[in-house]
Amino acid sequence: MMFGERNLKTVQVNGVYKSFGSTIALNGVNLSIDQGEVLGLLGPNGSGKSTLMKIVAGILKPDRGNVQVFGKDVASESVEVKRIIGHVPESPRLYEFLTGMEYLDFIADVHGLGKAKGERIAEFLKALDLEGRENELMNSYSHGMKQKIGIIAALLHRPKLLILDEPLNALDPRSARIVKDLVQKLRDSGVPTIFSTHVLDIADAICDRIVILDNGAVLAEGRSGELKAKAGTPGSSLEEIFLKLTGSSDTRDIVEALT
Amino acid sequence: MNYRVVYDLALVLTKSQLRGYQRSRLLVRLFGDPRIVLLADVLLLGGLGGLGLLIVSRVPTQLRSMIPRSEGQALAGIPTAIAFAVIVFGVLYEVSQPAQIMNTDLVNWLPVSPAEYTAGSTISECYLYSFMACLFLGVLLGPAIYLGVIATWLAAVVMSTISLFAGACVVELIDASTNRISSTFYKRSGRSAILFRLAITIFFLVFIQLLFSGQIAVFLLQSLVRTVEVAWFVPVVWSSVSVLSLSQGDLVNAAVFGTLSVAFAAALFGVAVGFRRKFWVPIPVSVRLSSRAYHPIKLGLKLPGIGAAESAILLKDFRSLVRRREMARFLAVPFVLAVSMSLPMLSPQTQPMPAEIFTQLILFVIPLVVFCNILGMTSIGQEGHAIWNLYAAPLKPETVLKAKFLLVTFLGLIFAVAMVIVLGIFSGTSANLPTLLLVGVGIVLEQASIGTFFGCRFPDFRETGRARYVSVWGSLAGTSAGLIVALVTVAPLILATAREIGSAYASLSSVALAMTITGVALKAAVHQLGQLFRNIQS
Repeated sequence: MMFGERNLKTVQVNGVYKSFGSTIALNGVNLSIDQGEVLGLLGPNGSGKSTLMKIVAGILKPDRGNVQVFGKDVASESVEVKRIIGHVPESPRLYEFLTGMEYLDFIADVHGLGKAKGERIAEFLKALDLEGRENELMNSYSHGMKQKIGIIAALLHRPKLLILDEPLNALDPRSARIVKDLVQKLRDSGVPTIFSTHVLDIADAICDRIVILDNGAVLAEGRSGELKAKAGTPGSSLEEIFLKLTGSSDTRDIVEALT
Repeated sequence: MNYRVVYDLALVLTKSQLRGYQRSRLLVRLFGDPRIVLLADVLLLGGLGGLGLLIVSRVPTQLRSMIPRSEGQALAGIPTAIAFAVIVFGVLYEVSQPAQIMNTDLVNWLPVSPAEYTAGSTISECYLYSFMACLFLGVLLGPAIYLGVIATWLAAVVMSTISLFAGACVVELIDASTNRISSTFYKRSGRSAILFRLAITIFFLVFIQLLFSGQIAVFLLQSLVRTVEVAWFVPVVWSSVSVLSLSQGDLVNAAVFGTLSVAFAAALFGVAVGFRRKFWVPIPVSVRLSSRAYHPIKLGLKLPGIGAAESAILLKDFRSLVRRREMARFLAVPFVLAVSMSLPMLSPQTQPMPAEIFTQLILFVIPLVVFCNILGMTSIGQEGHAIWNLYAAPLKPETVLKAKFLLVTFLGLIFAVAMVIVLGIFSGTSANLPTLLLVGVGIVLEQASIGTFFGCRFPDFRETGRARYVSVWGSLAGTSAGLIVALVTVAPLILATAREIGSAYASLSSVALAMTITGVALKAAVHQLGQLFRNIQS
């Protein structure tokens, strides 16, 4: 498959339904992502964003529906799909008894990177300001440092699809900028990204298209401008649209009540 | 000091420790209520006291003359024994706590003063270990009533309570000071600090296990009573000296040492509060393992079917065993078993170990089964939340399982060889060693596969204090299955020995049996792991 062809569907989510006991996490979600597109996933806490990302990454299996990544069915070919995906979870779950370097070496080996791994790991460590700390056990790393290690682990094997669940959490401004630039550079080379964030300005700035999830269903979908038009508030910020669509625009009253 | 805060803290800390040891919600709820614990303590005291009285009244007349002296010594020994027991158990709990739990000690961020925290934590320790005091004191209540030395018994109750408190203060002191000592030490020493900690933890665990072996316990109790009589200058035995003095009718000495014991406990509490104040928030330990550039370790596993992914998981799991202090107890198993087995043989009174294969098989197979089975059963659950890395990686269940199985086999084989050498030395003959080694290889393979199967079927990923990594039922089923299968495996050898037939064919049959069992168990384990990977719930 050639990169650069923006109209190619790299990810197809078809009628995905997932529940955990009596809680419905996803209720018939349909969406697709084009080649080289950055798709922003927005939604309140518990709206199903992380569940959807885990299903696309082949970590969770949907109860109904299916997901295709580059033509492969995620449920039946999950190992093949994981080979081409880079996934940063919402909170890094690392082997904290390893050093940062040992952990990245482990990830590289699991992806079968071979001899080139050392140089690539070193490049990332330098870029994200972890140089000099790589031989320390990760249980002493700050949340931001762990997040950086998680981001490097997701990018090491040159994935064809990036799934980033709130990747900028706890990052310092310089590292956040590097990650944002990386996502944009990868987009230019045709790598699609699913990007979840609660910082709506970031979504507005780097996402080509935005999907707003609420209660496990797609509430709205489109480019930032289209969403503003749909909400009938063309001059508003994405935050105002989000609050209006998710029915949480009564924040002023809540703040009044709390104070 | 706000006593309401102290009381609440004591309750919360007790529940937290109970949840670490005991997962049953009912037990946690029951023993989370101080009134229930108090009732249980009273029932224990009363029940054991009644039973003791019944037994003492039926002791043959010729033995009755020995009771008064033993009763006085035993009552005197209890306060010191209680203090030591609280210190040992308290430190053992600290040792087996995962680092993550230690670092997220929420109380550090609450408006609680060091004195309030220390008091709450100390009371919680006393509360948890009060059953031990009741157990010892209950056993001696019957004889005390029978002999009419109830005043000495009551003094032992008071002194045991003071010792319980003093022991809990020592645990507090150790807990607070290790925060600082370990962080300073690790920062300077890196890799060697980790190995040192592993060695210390294993030594400590072996020591604790030995304390509970009958031989050692009897020896220590005898020494303790002798110590109490002569070592009056050691503060920790003052409470015992007080009880001993009372039992000998020396009221002045009893009062002096009783007062000194209270002062000693109060001083310990003061020092513990001081340490807490100084080392209040745990300093994150930053361990730099090397200052040189990182060079990936070449495992040299050029076996067919062992690729980079298997080697990477194997190395990662080995590091987990060596570096995580909560995993050290599993590595301590062979040392504990080896030392427990060797001690009776080292005693000058015992006969040399018999050279028959039957005896040697029992001594060889049981520790091997226990070690490989435990390592296999915990191999999946020990991943904890980080199992996510394996779920998210492009790995087939076969790959993960192969790595887990290989590590257990590798460590099991080292243990088997070491055991064969030890058995050879103690028995003074090498005649049975090739047979034992051959059977040992079979046992290691089958137990590693059975353990791993149960680990995949019943994993427990919870990262709490004293985490088990395998469910209770899984552990029971896995251990039982391991022992039964081991018995079946060595059956040909036992039959051949009983009928005095040559052991060569028998041992080969045992190995063939073990290989078959290994194949079946591994297939089942792969299936289970596949199920686990498909049924992730969060």
